[in-house]
Amino acid sequence: MTQDSTDPRLAEETALQAIRRRIEEVAHDAPQLAKIALEAMVRKHNPDLKGSAQSAGRAGRQSGNVSELTAIARLTPGGAERLRRIFDLTNGNMDGAQRVSTLHDMRFVFFDNDTRILFATTYDGDWDTYINDFATKIPELMDLLFANVEGWPGIASPDVKDFIARLQIDAAGWFVSNPQVTVVDVRRYQRMDKALAAFLDEVAAHPPQDEATRRALDALSRALSQPEGVDY
Amino acid sequence: MSILADLKARFRREHVTLQLDDIQALILRARPEPYVGIHAMLHVNDAAGGRDLVRRMADHVPSAGGWTDDRDAWMDVAISHAGLQALGVPEASLASFPLPFRQGMAARAAQLRDVGENAPEHWDDAFRPGTCHIALTIYARDEAARDAAVATAMGELERSHGVTLVGTHAFGADADAKNPFGFRDSISQPAIAGGGVAPMPGQERAIAAGEFILGENSETGAPLALPDPPELGRNGSFVVLRKYESRVGAFNDFVKRHAGSEGDEERFAAKLFGRWRSGAPLVLNPDRDDPALGADPARNNGFDFSKDPRGLACPHGAHMRRLNPRDSALTILTDVNIHRIIRRSSTFGPKWSRDVTAADDAKGERGIFFIFISARAYDTIEFFQQEWINRGNFIDLADERDPVVGLHETPGTFTMPATPVRRRVDGVTTFNRLRGGEYLFMPSLTALRWIGEGRW
Repeated sequence: MTQDSTDPRLAEETALQAIRRRIEEVAHDAPQLAKIALEAMVRKHNPDLKGSAQSAGRAGRQSGNVSELTAIARLTPGGAERLRRIFDLTNGNMDGAQRVSTLHDMRFVFFDNDTRILFATTYDGDWDTYINDFATKIPELMDLLFANVEGWPGIASPDVKDFIARLQIDAAGWFVSNPQVTVVDVRRYQRMDKALAAFLDEVAAHPPQDEATRRALDALSRALSQPEGVDY
Repeated sequence: MSILADLKARFRREHVTLQLDDIQALILRARPEPYVGIHAMLHVNDAAGGRDLVRRMADHVPSAGGWTDDRDAWMDVAISHAGLQALGVPEASLASFPLPFRQGMAARAAQLRDVGENAPEHWDDAFRPGTCHIALTIYARDEAARDAAVATAMGELERSHGVTLVGTHAFGADADAKNPFGFRDSISQPAIAGGGVAPMPGQERAIAAGEFILGENSETGAPLALPDPPELGRNGSFVVLRKYESRVGAFNDFVKRHAGSEGDEERFAAKLFGRWRSGAPLVLNPDRDDPALGADPARNNGFDFSKDPRGLACPHGAHMRRLNPRDSALTILTDVNIHRIIRRSSTFGPKWSRDVTAADDAKGERGIFFIFISARAYDTIEFFQQEWINRGNFIDLADERDPVVGLHETPGTFTMPATPVRRRVDGVTTFNRLRGGEYLFMPSLTALRWIGEGRW
């Protein structure tokens, strides 16, 4: 569900009036906004760090390879308590969720006296690509978590995609520091870092004699010894 | 033994639990080898006229009863959502179909990653949204049988009113059943539980029938969404149809550029596909082609990847391994059994030859109708396009794409694990360009009559 604005005045306005009003609303922010916009324009971006502002398939936003899902739902009576017990038991560390390997994070927040839940997650790829796989591979975990949401049709239900999409709210603003990097990529980088260190130890102990290998190693060492500040 | 003779020998009627007499034959019946046939696309201008044609055509569509028996030719009928609408199917029924099917393939371009030169605005006219209402396909053993079946179908069409023949497309391949790139294709087919033919020893288990036949239990243990009413939905399935123009010359040039000698060309091309030209799988024969193995349906699909976890024989990124990873370890939680497809693709154009170069591709005469059947075909193709074809994340290859059917807006890479160090080549371009496609519903015989007689 896309919510452009909840401002009741908008329904009454013509498009032109709306634009005028919005300009006026932001006018006093203009110097600061202009500065941010200008900085964003002039900065040279490494393409590996480039994000985008696309739709993550049916709902939510996508930046590069990474997408966001934000949903607000009503909880069944006692639902918050049951969920709290699950989170306490697992220390928030859910094995099934780790196996999914597309989830960067998940956040469960109760509000309105434990009657409602805010669920927010960052994940790789499109919104509903792996829903069918969850339904056969981790149905118990999905149902354990979401059966506490009012109206949950069950992960195997043909209606589950429609149900989730109805609860979703597109983020108005969303920032991703590494939009091109997936969870799987990060795992590989960690593995590569260790393997590379071991490799360099080996090579340092037994330096190669042939020129081509020495040149390749020199290029590798140069590339590795250029730490960069985190520049968004 | 041919694939059809092999299925026939292993068919056991007492193991059938499906309502075969109500299911269109094509869903279970494999393509003959050699095969010839024709695809025809119809547009319905007048609902009553269209229904009358569907009703009469239903009499010529064989059921899957005796699907392993010999048959000279068979026809199938599939209908798009726009087609169901044009035939006057009531709104409540239309709305009961899944969203991607209702929207049609062109409208799903974003989910299908059909962008750039594959975007719908570049498609053939026959695939402009709302054009293809009814797709009719005839498969036959030989040209005489095909011509007889075509004459029957054309006779019915001529007696109808308010239906336009948008286009026809002939296809065929000889007994080698090779695709435009000279590789035997459509080898791996899922065994369907309750179909009467058990999987071969050593092969994968049978897949729950509901993955292919609506109304049966799927891999979740329950049926998938059934279009309403049950007379319409039950025993039907969905079809994905995508027409590709194959740039065989560009592919040949790419192979020659990266392989040292002619022998190396064969090996390198096999790495891209995952099988040798004969169909012999790389994991069973990593060093050279084995035509006897490739032609033997009892052996050419009897393998898994347990002995090749690193992809030293068959690269993880090879087309065949991507689209059916079997027991490969994948980085992302995936149920490979819900992404299986019944392949019914058809090849058109001149036979492959090594001498075709990129200059010949301009004629656009070679290609493939990539056709498959699944009860969740619309989800499966979107999953394939996003995850298994136009990405490498699921096999720890970041953005690397399928070298055969991927869309390469900028030239891509292909990684071949090897010892002591992997080889990676660049310059992969789009060797199969999309010319159009549609999501289709393949109704049961009951449903064809329900539609044809307007029983709502």
